[in-house]
This record gives sequence, C-alpha cells and structure tokens, in this order.
Amino acid sequence: MIATATIPLLRELRRRLGAENVLGAPSELVVYECDGFTIEKNRPDAVVFPRSTEQVSEVVKLCARYGASIVPRGAGTSLAGGCLPVGGGVVVMLTRMKRILTIDLRNRMAVVEAGVPNLELSRALAGSGFHFAPDPSSQTASTIGGNVATNAGGPHTLKYGVTLNHVLGLEAVLADGSVLQIGPVPDPAGLDLLGVLVGSEGTLAIVTKVWVRLTPNPEDYRTLRAIFTSVDDATNAISDIIAAGILPAAMELMDQGIIAAVEEAYRFGFPLDAKAIAVIEVDGPAAGLDEQERRVETICRRWNAREVLRAADPRQRELLWKCRKMAVGAVGRLSPSYCIQDGVVPRTRLPHILRRIAEIGAKHRVRIVNVAHAGDGNVHPILLFDERDRDEVARVLEAGREVLAECIASGGSVTAEHGIGVEKLDFMSRLFAPADLKAMRRLREAFDPAGRLNPGKLLPSECGASAQT
Amino acid sequence: MLPLSETVTPADRNELADRVRRAAEQGQPVYPLGGGTNLAYGAAPSEPGLGLSLAGLERLVDYPARDLTITVEAGMTLATLAEHLAAEGQQLPVDVPYPDRATVGGAVATGAGGPRQYRWGTLRDYVIGLSAVDGCGTLFSAGGRVVKNAAGYDLCRLLTGSLGSLAVIVQVTLMVKPRPQCSALAACPIPDWDTAEHLLAGLVRTQTLPSAIELLAGPAWRDAPSLGPLPAGAVAWLAVGFEGTDAEVRWMLARLRAEWGETGATVAATLLDRQADPLWKALTEFRQPGPERIADGSCAAEIRVLPGHVVETVRRVLKIDGIASILAHAGNGVVLAHIPAAAVAGLRSAFRASGGSLVVASAPAGTTRDVATVWGPPPGGWTVMQALKCRFDPKGILNRGRFLVADGCR
Amino acid sequence: MSDLKNPGEGIDFGLFLDCVHCGLCTSACPTYTELGDENDGPRGRVYLMRQVAEGRLGLDARIRKHLDLCLDCRACETACPSGVHYGRLIEPFRLAVEEAEHQRSVVKRYDWFRQLVLFRLFPYANRIRLAMTPVRWLQRLGIYGWMERLGLFKLVPGRLGHMVTLVGPLVDQGPKLPKFLPAKGRRRARVAFFVGCVAEAMFRHTHWATLRVLQENGCDVLIPEGQGCCGAIHFHAGSSDGARKLADANVAAFDLAEIDAVIVNHGGCGAMLKEYGLHWHDDLQPARRRFAEKVKDINEFLDQLGLVPPSGRIEATATYHDACHLGHAQKVREAPRRLLAQIPGLALRELPETEICCGSAGTYNLNQPAMAQRLMRRKLENILKTGAQIVLASNAGCLLQIGREVRQRRAPLVVLHPMDLLDMSYRDAKPAIASTPARR
Repeated sequence: MIATATIPLLRELRRRLGAENVLGAPSELVVYECDGFTIEKNRPDAVVFPRSTEQVSEVVKLCARYGASIVPRGAGTSLAGGCLPVGGGVVVMLTRMKRILTIDLRNRMAVVEAGVPNLELSRALAGSGFHFAPDPSSQTASTIGGNVATNAGGPHTLKYGVTLNHVLGLEAVLADGSVLQIGPVPDPAGLDLLGVLVGSEGTLAIVTKVWVRLTPNPEDYRTLRAIFTSVDDATNAISDIIAAGILPAAMELMDQGIIAAVEEAYRFGFPLDAKAIAVIEVDGPAAGLDEQERRVETICRRWNAREVLRAADPRQRELLWKCRKMAVGAVGRLSPSYCIQDGVVPRTRLPHILRRIAEIGAKHRVRIVNVAHAGDGNVHPILLFDERDRDEVARVLEAGREVLAECIASGGSVTAEHGIGVEKLDFMSRLFAPADLKAMRRLREAFDPAGRLNPGKLLPSECGASAQT
Repeated sequence: MLPLSETVTPADRNELADRVRRAAEQGQPVYPLGGGTNLAYGAAPSEPGLGLSLAGLERLVDYPARDLTITVEAGMTLATLAEHLAAEGQQLPVDVPYPDRATVGGAVATGAGGPRQYRWGTLRDYVIGLSAVDGCGTLFSAGGRVVKNAAGYDLCRLLTGSLGSLAVIVQVTLMVKPRPQCSALAACPIPDWDTAEHLLAGLVRTQTLPSAIELLAGPAWRDAPSLGPLPAGAVAWLAVGFEGTDAEVRWMLARLRAEWGETGATVAATLLDRQADPLWKALTEFRQPGPERIADGSCAAEIRVLPGHVVETVRRVLKIDGIASILAHAGNGVVLAHIPAAAVAGLRSAFRASGGSLVVASAPAGTTRDVATVWGPPPGGWTVMQALKCRFDPKGILNRGRFLVADGCR
Repeated sequence: MSDLKNPGEGIDFGLFLDCVHCGLCTSACPTYTELGDENDGPRGRVYLMRQVAEGRLGLDARIRKHLDLCLDCRACETACPSGVHYGRLIEPFRLAVEEAEHQRSVVKRYDWFRQLVLFRLFPYANRIRLAMTPVRWLQRLGIYGWMERLGLFKLVPGRLGHMVTLVGPLVDQGPKLPKFLPAKGRRRARVAFFVGCVAEAMFRHTHWATLRVLQENGCDVLIPEGQGCCGAIHFHAGSSDGARKLADANVAAFDLAEIDAVIVNHGGCGAMLKEYGLHWHDDLQPARRRFAEKVKDINEFLDQLGLVPPSGRIEATATYHDACHLGHAQKVREAPRRLLAQIPGLALRELPETEICCGSAGTYNLNQPAMAQRLMRRKLENILKTGAQIVLASNAGCLLQIGREVRQRRAPLVVLHPMDLLDMSYRDAKPAIASTPARR
C-alpha cells in the first residue's frame, strides 16, 4: 500500500523529475527493499533517478518539505545494509548520473559523477599510464559515489590507502538542499569536511560529483602465491613480512574452503589440499622488485610455504585477482546462504584471530571459510548456512557476533571497509564509550539537524537500542 | 604571542579535562600549548585566557612496532617520537619544522605536511586514533589502533587541522612506515619558467617514485644549503627527492637523469642521505620561518592551486613582488611565499577566482592578524563548520579568536 | 498443464537460492547499464520472479515490462560469481507467464506478429526466403538502397518495418546445400552440420564457407535431412510446446552413432541445441541430452581439433564481437580469437565492451526496438573506436543487426562471420574492405 502521505510527494517528484525518473508502484519498489545485506528489508515509498546535482537538490528540498527521509543508493552492493530504507522514505538512485566529466592527467585527476562504476573509470584510463587505486572486490559494479560513502578499501589498500586517500574534492547536496563543493584544491582555511564526508555512509550529505586522484601505474609487478599447509603458518608469514618493513602492494589470504569455491568457479588450478594461500603482490620500479620478491619468499619459506609461485603473465595475474575478488560471491556455490563479516585487528593479531574464528565456528557448529586483506589485519570470515534452517541461522548470528566481539577484544574494530550500516549498529556501543558516540552524534547534527539523511544507520539511537532483528 | 592570564600544566588527561570544564563554566578562553613553534599561524587572539600546556602529557602509551602503529600522548615532541621509531627502523614520513620543540598534538592540530607529502601524504593520513577534550571538558576518543577502520564517523579527520578549535587533543595513535634505507635529493637549475612547467609536467609521467617535487626561487635560496649559488641566468632550482633501498634510489636517480636528459635539463647536484639533510630541513622550515629569516613586514603565505597552475602562480607572485622568496611543493600545488603583508589581499583575490586559496601561514608579531586577514573569506561549508564549533565548544572557549568563532550558537 | 497458482511456482526453488544478492551482475547487464533501474537488472529480475513465484507479488504490467525488457543475453551469468543459472530462471518463467495468461485469457495468446511472423514464418527457411521476395525485387531494381537511405522503410508498419531493414544487400548465397561433402586430404573427423532456419535463408553463403572450412580441416560433413529450426525463437517467445516439437525433430534427424560432432555455426542456435537436455522432463529427455552433448560450435570444434593454418593473406584490421549466446551461454570466447589469429596479415583488435549485447538477441530487436537501437548504437561506437575495417560475429542475429546499423550509418565496415573470413583465407580471396580505415 502506498502511504497516503506520500501521494502528494510522489506527484510533486514526478512533476519535477519527469514520470520516467520516479517509481512509486509497490511492484517496482520491492527490489529496493534491500541491498547486498538481506537479513532486514523494508520497502521505500518512492525511488527517484535524478540526472543532475540540481535535481538531487530539488528532491532533497521536496523531501524536507514533506518530512520524508532520504536514502542515497548507487549499485546497492552494501554488505551492511547501507541502502536499507529504514522506515521507508525516498531512495535517491545515483545510477543515471554516470558521466566521466574530465580526465586531467597533468593534475593527476579525474572528475566523475557519483554513479560511475569504479571499474569503468579504470577502463576509461586504459593506456593512459594511470589508474584509480581503490579496488574493492565489488569494483565491477559498485559506484565511485558508493565507494566514497563507505570509504571503500580493497586488496591494494595495503600500499595505496583507502578511498579517502584518493579523493581530492567532492560536490555534495546537504540536508537542506544546498550544494557544497570542497576541493579539488584543498583549502587550509577550514575543517577537513572532505575527510569527514568520505565514509559517512550517506548520513551527512549526498555526494553527486567526485574529483579523484589518479595513480601512476607501477613500472612492474610481481604477483606471488605462497601455498601453505596450515593457516597459522600463512598468517605468521604475513605478519612477519609487515614487521620486516616490506610494503607489498597487496597481501591477501584465502583458506582451503574458499579455495575450493573459487576453483570451482574460475578453474585457476589452485591445489585443493592447500590449507591456505597467500597472494602477495609487490610493485614499483623494476629495480627493487627482485629484492622484495626474494625477501617475501624467504619469509614464506621460513614459515613452511610448500611452494611460492609467480604469476606467469599478465593474463594469469588478472585471473588470480579475479579469483580473489570474486571469492566471496563464489561462496554461493558452497551453500545456499552466507554471511560475510568484516573484522579488523592489529596486524600481529592475525594468527590469533584466525585461530579464534576456527574455534568459534567449531563451537557453534557453523562452517566458516576465510578470505582476508591480511596485510591490513582485515579478516572476512564467511559463515555458511541455509536460510531455511532456523536453528542454523541462529547459530550463525551468534557465531558472527562472537567473532566481532573477539576483534574488539583483540584491539580491533568491527568493520574495516563495509561500514556500520544497520548490520553493526549494536556493536557501536561496544566499540565506543558513550562520550565517543555523543561526539559522533554532534557531528551528524551539525550536518543534518532533522536526521533525515539515511536515518537508522551508522549510529545507534541515543537510548542505545536499535531496530535490530 | 598569546594573551595568557595564567598557564597550567596538567599531569594527566583527567586533570586537563577538569581544567577545561572549569574554564567552560566561567566562560574563560583556553589556549592549548604544545611546543609553541607555530604560534604565528592563525589569527592573533585578544582576550586573555588560560594557557593549557600539554608538557605534562608526553608518555609513550603503546608501541607495538610489528603492527606499525604507535600511541603517544599529545605533548611528546616529534624528535622523541622519531627516536622511538628509529629504534625499530621506522618513521613517520611527515615533515614538521623544529621537531625538538614541536609536539605531536600541535602537529596534528595544525595538520602538518611538508615536502614529502607528494609521496606520503600529510599527517591527516596517519592519525588513526585519538583522544581529546571538547569545549565542555568532556573526554572522548575516536578511531582506534587498526590501520583500516570504517566504524562510525572519522573524528580523527575532523580534529586533524582543526587548530584546537573543537577540542584539545590529548593522545594520538599514528600509523607509521618502515624507514627507508636511503634518501636523496637531485636538483637542477631552471633557465626559465616555461622550462619549469615542462619539467614539472614531465614528472607527472616519470617512472621514478618521487617523494618530493620542490621548486625554489628568490633570495632565500640564493645560497641554498648544500646546493650553492644558483647559476647565473637561472630563475629557480627544481629539486626532486627520492627514498627507498640503495638500489632503488640509485636506479631512480639514473632514471631521472635520463628523463631530464631528453629535455636538455641537467642534474647539477645530487645529495645523498646526510648530505641532503640540511636541504630537507630548509624545505621543511620554510613555511614557518623564524623572525631572523624573514624580512620586516613580510609574512609566509600558503597558496593552494592545482599542480598544473604552480608555475603560473609563482610568476604571478613574482610580478607583485619581484624579490619574493618562494618554495613550491609543486607536485601538490602548494606554493609558499614570503611576501609583504600588504600584498596578501591582492594575491588572495587573484587565486580565489581560479579555485585556489591563500592563507597566512606565519605572520610576525606586529602585523595585523585578524580572522579575515589570515584566513580570507569563509570557505565552502562554513555554516557546517560553525555548527560543528557550536556543538563541540558551545561556549567558544577553545582558541577563541584564532580560527572558528562560536558566534550565534543556539 | 499448470494448476499452479503463481507463474514460475514450478521452477526449481534452488535456482532462486543460488542468488546471494551481491549485485555484482548489475553492471554486466545491458539494460541496467542503459537505464540504471534495478528492476531492469539481473538481481532485480531474479528478485521479481521470485516474489511472483512465491505469491508475494502479483504479476502486473510493470513487472512484465521489466521482464520483457530482458535480452536473455546471459551476460549476468558470466558476471555472477555465485553461479546463478539466469537463463534457467527467465526462460521457464516466461513460458509460465504465457501459459498463465493463456489460461486466464487475460490477453490474446499471441498477437498477430508473433503468431504469423515468429511462429509461422521464422522456423521455415523456405518461407523466410519467400517472404523476402518483395525486398529482393526492390534490391534487384536498385530501389532498396535509396529507400533505406531515405528511411522509407519506416513507413512499413512497426516491427515488420524493422524486419525489412534487417535484410541485407544481395549476396550470392550459393546453391542448395548437398547431403554430404568429403574431407580434403587425410580425414580427421566426421561431423554432421546443423542448418537452421534464418541462417539457411539469409546466410547460406556462410554455411558454404563453414562447410568448405570443415573440408579443408579434414572433415567429412553430413547434412542430414529432416532437420529444421532449433526452436529458440519459439522457446524465447514463450512457446515451449512448439520448441519441443522442433527439438525432437532435430534429435531424430541426426544419427549420433556415425558422427563425432553436431556442428553449428550460429551462437543462438548452438546455445539452444546444447540446452535441449534441460528444458523438458519427459521420456525423450535422455535422447535430447545425448544429442546436446554432441553439439559443438564451429569455432570451438576447430579450435579443439587444431586448425590447419590458412595461407591466404588478408591485410586488414578486424575486431571480434562476442555473440551473447556464444560467449555468455556457451562460454566460447577464446576459440574464435585463436582461429582468427592464424589468418596471415590479419590484425585483430579487442572490442571495448565486447561482452555487452548488440541488441539483436533473437527476436528482441523486433519486440523491443527502442532498447535494441540504443544498444546497437553503443555497439557501433565501440566498433568504430577500434579502427577496424572488418567486424566479425558468430551469430546470425548479431550479423543482421550490426549489418543494418553499418549500412544506415554508412560506416566503412565489412560485417562477416569468422568462417567467411577463414574461408577467404583458404581460397586466397579478399574481403571488400574500404580503403580508408574507420576513424580511431
């Protein structure tokens, strides 16, 4: 049923944006009731497809007049429910704002609309000698606006940093409909609003345009895969590589369970009996690569790596990265449903957290497979289940909670890159003291006093309770 | 330089919070004090208030070296921090002037970033956690001790570079890096400005990995440390810094020579490790010159433009003041100029129009230093910044009159 | 047969559960890429179908519109890490929808266009050829060319007009195909050739080229009688029974015992033949499955057999477009590229967005001309970016669709099947390429 109150809002939206840019019928709204996180669902009251910043601003002003909340959405690949229309409201799709406006190599910068898929920018840069460094595993689909909203990471975060390190400027629509431009030239006369907006999960403003930094392609790569006979050996080797002062471009871990899924999907030729594989890439001037490769290999061998192999050619490297990036989705082949977690611990705690994850899985009789941006201490345990088995679902939720609690206890955090969304609201008060949360709340109020931008996300409500399952 | 009615040195963060709370109750301005190396930055306050020294908070809290993170109290000097890190073969790759006196808290509050920001970024990119006391005297923390964290808002970013206007920083957790085996600076005299732009544009595509790309002009560099006098006919030095293993640095120096050779430019000086230190130091300190190093009535202006506009900017500055001393972190579009205070307003409007900005980074005592002169017209998002000020420091006691003002808070 | 309440209720529910809702498919979907609405993307469509199948949502005109807009190009299957068999969801779902609507008599079962053109005309090569007679006469009289340029075919009503413009210029199609052609040189394999309907009517010259290439590669080729249309047009338009009858006729026509493979040279037909074993659950299913297992795309077959390298030089730049039903449905991508790379002198350039549908998609260009046109324009832009003089595709629909756009835009491009070009190289013939390459 359409809430009666939204009918005039819908009419107004259609008048301003054109009927072809507004959805209001329940049968067309249903696909917007969730994103990559499906445990909670709620249907929005309307979905709009603005084509310009001015239209986004108009929508925001209209919503303000009608008291409707606003949920910005890109490709909808959030794994934390970042696009869930909590309590309905208007979903603002940025997918029709997908122009690459400028590529300016002299200033190592590109200007894109928020709806441009991450990989599309890199494709447009092919042959230029530059790339856009953030490479979340969702990069084929996820939008740059979405990457900004979640401060997305990815394997190459280890050396190149997260999205924030690659954003020079933003154009964003604030809660009152006004348009703010920050950058691309940094202005020291003021607070770092750019740093605050990146990663704010659409709760402070709707990002419509992004000035991104372009990174020169490294002269050369060495992409290694080290095959280990125990997870412990692999995590110890990774920890040692960091401690030895080597800075690989990426250092990833896949355990036996995930290797099986990936192998089925992409037939790379991974040994199925390996307990863990570390994918380690070093890059930079060719002059330094032999040395780095040798040091990495020595440490892996010291931790009993059975084999350390180098990707034979660019094609094999590409397939190797595809395997790693598609690993999570490939888990769909192992079980009907899964829940992917996103914990992070200080890097030396990596062996510890993976041991604990295994113990927690055993304790709750839940099968857990692991991928990890291991060099950053960022683990992605994936808990497998069948959503039709209610008892198993309960055990999975409990095991997931226990894994995150263990991350906190190890000095880490409950999310490194997926964001809090609705999924992890409950953990905020375990991670932060009331005064810390209050400081965050003040920040939110300064931007959006009425709390209409992506409500119900990122911060638990004041009394500490949240709308959780 | 600050109108201090009294100065206290709390022994720990709780005492410090108490002190701020009491000041808030009385509406007394509070001026946090670090090493006092950058007091010439920001507007000069007029209201007398409480000097809050961080000298009592200088402990090393935690240094899990193998995690490449370190947690220290805000009053620790950068030199002490560097010593701790060096013992483990690590470093914080952010250049801060006068490290013997400058404190970690002060560097974070001013958002430090020097020549090496081209490769390594600024301090903003290294603060992963902090604790601070807001304008009500409430202690809060942000971030954590992991290098990647997406939980909640990034208050570390909010406070880094906030010039103590929202909260007093009491503790900081930093991400650190392995210390490079070797560093070098290669310099080339520039015959004219078109060549400068040509070489700078070429460096965008270099196969080397420069840590710094610096353009040096004017009397301050007439006898640049270790470089000697600028050859006759040249307008500036272009210096490129490298860090890495011995093999990498050697290769990058050779590669740069080859790349420049194709354009006819020659490397006149190559400074390795220790030899380069005095020049690195001069490049770092230029933004905050001591009074002995700046002409009477001059100030240090920090101009920000797109990297492609650096040369044009330098020329514009020289047109207004032919004997200005200039240092550009050219790869980042930062142009620092020692110019007469009277020239600030004119230059500022010129750069504003093209999306650039100008702030007075350092002005000697005696010059006018009100908010408008130092910062210029309000930047984008000013209303949000004011709203933030009202929420973190509703009485407006923190660094009153220096940066953000709490006028009109509800 | 259905007494099921909701369309799609009979679909194996496990196929829906394969979708983990990650959304990585969206950017691979041509209609989502164009429209940005998740209702027009694979994840959204799977979600809609599941809602309808579960009875949570009634099938309304809006949902139909989004599902009808699907090209069934299956690019999403390539993108999906979780292994969702999208084709096995949308195809039975469409059949179920047709059936349900037929039973409820809510709408006419099929409109005149479907009834007449799709079902009565298309499956039969001779009828297609007959139907094309007026057009061919216009061509012989030299009128077609200027009618096309003046856009006069727009005066022909609706989808019929679109069809008319698809018909390419006259080419010598060669004589009727024989029943048998012997291998040249040492015999390496014995195969049977699948002829099809549209392909036979409009691309008999490509059939001849394919047969000659097979001979050059040491293959005895049988062309069994009694075979006909593969049934894909019926199946995708919602007529399961019609498709099954055609399938069974084909299964009966080929004597699998005496051949190494059933060779098919158009991706759309090949994908259908390879899936015969999946669609109908009855006594004949095992026979259909055995047949399907023997089906090989010509590119795939020659690549596996090992191509006898052709020697005729073709000094030209070419680009290869991946037909959806060859690339996405059959996963044959590298084989045609490897074959073409062996033509001396030929420079092969990668086509940007090669994995995105050209808009032909079986009869899609007839039913959804607006979207088909958008996609075609996008495709041609990409082709022109490569600077190629020849564009190659291994599917009749793509060849027709790209061919029309090339003619209408007067792009300096020759549109060919890979077998056409290979055959030329064996015969030392040259394609009629423009002297100036297309703009880069």
